[in-house]
Amino acid sequence: MKKVLMGNHAASWAVKLSRVQMISAYPITPQTQIVEELSEMCGSGELKAKFMKVESEHSAMASCVAASSAGARVFTATSANGLALMHEVLHWAAGARLPIVMVNVNRAMAPGWSIWTDQCDSLSQRDTGWMQLYVENNQEVLDTVIQAYKIAEKVLLPVMVCYDAFFLSHTYEPVDIPDQKLVDEFIPYVKRKNILDPQSPHAFNSLAMPDVYMEMRHKIQLAHERALDWVEEVDADFEKAFGRSYGAVEAVQCDDADIVLVTCSTTSSPARLVVNELRGQGMKVGLLKMRLFRPFPVKRIKEALMGRKKVIVIDRNISFGKGGIFADEIKGALSNESDRPEVYGYIMGLGGRDIVPEALKEIVLEVNDMDAPPEHAIIWKGLKP
Amino acid sequence: MPDEKAIIYKTLAEMPEIVISQASMRWNHTGSWRYMKPRHLNKVPPCNHGCPAGNDIEQFLRLASEKKFAEARAVIKQENPFPRVCGRVCYHPCETACNRAKFDAPTAINAVERFLGDYEGGETVKPEREASGKTVAVVGSGPAGLTAAYHLARMGHGVTVYESKKKAGGLLRYGIPAYRLGDDVLDAEIADVEALGVKIECGAQVGKDLPFDELKKFDAVFVACGVHKSQKLGVEGEDAQGVMSGLEFLARVNGGERPAIGKKVAVIGGGNSAVDAARCALRLGAEVELYYRRSRVEMPAYEAEVDEAEEEGAAINILATPVKINVQDGKVVGLTMTKMALGDPDESGRRKPEPVPGSEFDVRADAVLTAIGEKGDLEFLPDGVKLEWGKILIDEFGLTSHPGVFAGGDIAQSTQNVAYAIGGGKKAAIAIDRYLGGEKIEDIGGRILIGGEGPVSVSRYLKTGRAHAQNDDFHTVVPFEELNLNYFDESERSERNTLDKAARLAGFGEVNAGLTEAEAVRDADRCFHCGVCTMCDNCYVYCPDVSVRHKADGSWGYDIDLDYCKGCGICVYECPRSAMVLEDE
Repeated sequence: MKKVLMGNHAASWAVKLSRVQMISAYPITPQTQIVEELSEMCGSGELKAKFMKVESEHSAMASCVAASSAGARVFTATSANGLALMHEVLHWAAGARLPIVMVNVNRAMAPGWSIWTDQCDSLSQRDTGWMQLYVENNQEVLDTVIQAYKIAEKVLLPVMVCYDAFFLSHTYEPVDIPDQKLVDEFIPYVKRKNILDPQSPHAFNSLAMPDVYMEMRHKIQLAHERALDWVEEVDADFEKAFGRSYGAVEAVQCDDADIVLVTCSTTSSPARLVVNELRGQGMKVGLLKMRLFRPFPVKRIKEALMGRKKVIVIDRNISFGKGGIFADEIKGALSNESDRPEVYGYIMGLGGRDIVPEALKEIVLEVNDMDAPPEHAIIWKGLKP
Repeated sequence: MPDEKAIIYKTLAEMPEIVISQASMRWNHTGSWRYMKPRHLNKVPPCNHGCPAGNDIEQFLRLASEKKFAEARAVIKQENPFPRVCGRVCYHPCETACNRAKFDAPTAINAVERFLGDYEGGETVKPEREASGKTVAVVGSGPAGLTAAYHLARMGHGVTVYESKKKAGGLLRYGIPAYRLGDDVLDAEIADVEALGVKIECGAQVGKDLPFDELKKFDAVFVACGVHKSQKLGVEGEDAQGVMSGLEFLARVNGGERPAIGKKVAVIGGGNSAVDAARCALRLGAEVELYYRRSRVEMPAYEAEVDEAEEEGAAINILATPVKINVQDGKVVGLTMTKMALGDPDESGRRKPEPVPGSEFDVRADAVLTAIGEKGDLEFLPDGVKLEWGKILIDEFGLTSHPGVFAGGDIAQSTQNVAYAIGGGKKAAIAIDRYLGGEKIEDIGGRILIGGEGPVSVSRYLKTGRAHAQNDDFHTVVPFEELNLNYFDESERSERNTLDKAARLAGFGEVNAGLTEAEAVRDADRCFHCGVCTMCDNCYVYCPDVSVRHKADGSWGYDIDLDYCKGCGICVYECPRSAMVLEDE
């Protein structure tokens, strides 16, 4: 069944199809429509989930932690400052190894107040132990939320699905709604071990002495490493069941490229146009779409980028005092390779400023003419003089 | 004591995925810290207590809210053979008692009862016991007599009802106009009584067509003959053509007659019969002036009925009473009235009306309908039956001073209305059953009186009600203050539709319509279920010790794990409806 859905409602549909049992959320633009729709689905009875109203995002995540600890499949959604308020509990969710799925609609952090997109909100949560996936269109929103449950419940890590405010959240696109029966087969509810059970009482998440704490952390890292493969296995299974796949990354015409544009989220769409146009003009340009950010798919990145001459990373985010976060991560991934390509880091589109194909094309042409990245490493594109 | 051996992990593989205790604290029975103990305990909702007919209102509302209409109807029929009648004419003291009245508006109990009564489907009522071989005579086929007959038949006794009029029903048939209660509704519910084997002999007036002595062949007698003798005004001209008692007028109209009453009708009285007579006269095309000697607040008629009469065009004149009926050629032409003033309270507690000297005035009238009260005709009773204030003297369960003779309804009870008559019939049925079995009523009264006094529950007596009901606290009525209102939202009450004025006056069509199914379900769902567990799970959810548990076999109710319950009382506090208690250990 095809429906024309805004990105937010594509997320709601995915949650419904995933037969989530508990939803707790606090409203914040541009996320609110997701849970608004879910509240109506719960109200009408078509989704048999407990819908829990809370007074803050901190409580929303705490409720998800509690319900997930009791074995329920749970969901929440937030954006920007809401996500920041969850910060403490994000660590808890990962440390307690709870397969919570959350949508974060990427919105720039205040102040100055902005409701428009950039990725500083979710990238600020990079080190909480959550997995992060960034998606490009509304179909991918729906498919990735469903995949996220299968990923999370296997490796016992929480998963954050991120997409751009307004460019996806409020934009309508045709979306294929998979058959409920197929989704049920894809992500059957399986009772986890180590859940709250009055018949088998245990103390959870209590004091961990120095003789065990480090091992517990190590296990979280192992789970992330396991997830690198598992994300791709789930994606392959998804393709078998539903005919669509996305990969941990998507490499477009990278094999023979001299220059590769690295993008994520909706920026990948204009980048595809630019790659096609420049290829038409005989330039060997490729595209690497970053979908999985945590765990960081180093192997896939090397496969796509090693042997290329120049890599341009478009960052709709900034780590102040350093630079674009994706650029930095990619440099790190390649750092041990002796014949690594040069990485050109561009900052663009903060606070919802458009990233248009013309600008991306200018960047590719400009990098083509450069001998080496500039000394201070960050190139701001589109700044007022 | 716990196993104190420390758990030491030597390898990563031995370690669990999360920080989780591996030893158990189950040995630590925190229940030993407790000095108060919670317990689930159903109590009495105020509606059940407030219903003189003793209906299990909370229970039928719950079933109705779940759309289990046949079961809900069966719950009513356990107590009351007349849900269709009561759903139309009962003045619903249950709704006055309803705790929701103090919150937003009472649950529309009466309208839901009507919906359920009218619901077609479900099983017919059958006797609960084998035939006892005992027989009971019932004098009068009004609501008290038929209710007693109905329950006595359910208890296995052979019942014969003697009715002086042509048809059964008593005041329900001859006193209540068709625009409030149609014959078809009454006939259907009387047929249910007869289906239990009750014999109704109409046209058989005890004391006239057969002497009371003939009833001695029965093992017990229940007298519920009602009050029919209209009191006289005691003024000049009362015997003129055109003067009629209100009850006689109502009986004739209900029997299909259309008595000639002319254009202007004066109704004297302020009770329900007066108002009914006024509204019938309006429907026969007359202009109606109703005169009452006290003020409006003292009118014994139900306020809603007075309002409806006024809407239909009856003029309500207060503080006025006739001193003379003016007659010409043997026919009424008018009345001479006097204005009244209220003096000191009389023995009824109401201020006594006194004529204002020199205030007489004349009014024109083609007919005068008098409805200033009725008296019983008790001459047929044997000597051993004591009377008081013109009524048969009875105890709480309808026992008269004559062994084997019981009484109820308007002839014996001080409050005269359908619900009380049904309640009186139920009490007498139980008392007669005990009497026939050679058992004392005193031994059982405390167990079956709802709230420890007042109305009585036949289903508790026959143990046919809810399985767990026998363990309830049947004496404590839940007051509004005991509810936890955090769990209730305000909601609008479903109101029934009424015919517009023109349609009402065009005939005797029913003024009040019922509720639609959706409205009935919605309003049934507004019920707070005061004092009765609905398994809302608040106790289960809020227990910090996970000691409130669902029953292992999935059956109704909860278990409390007293090994671990610390007696904090949160479950009791968070119960929205006061269906738990915290007791000393």
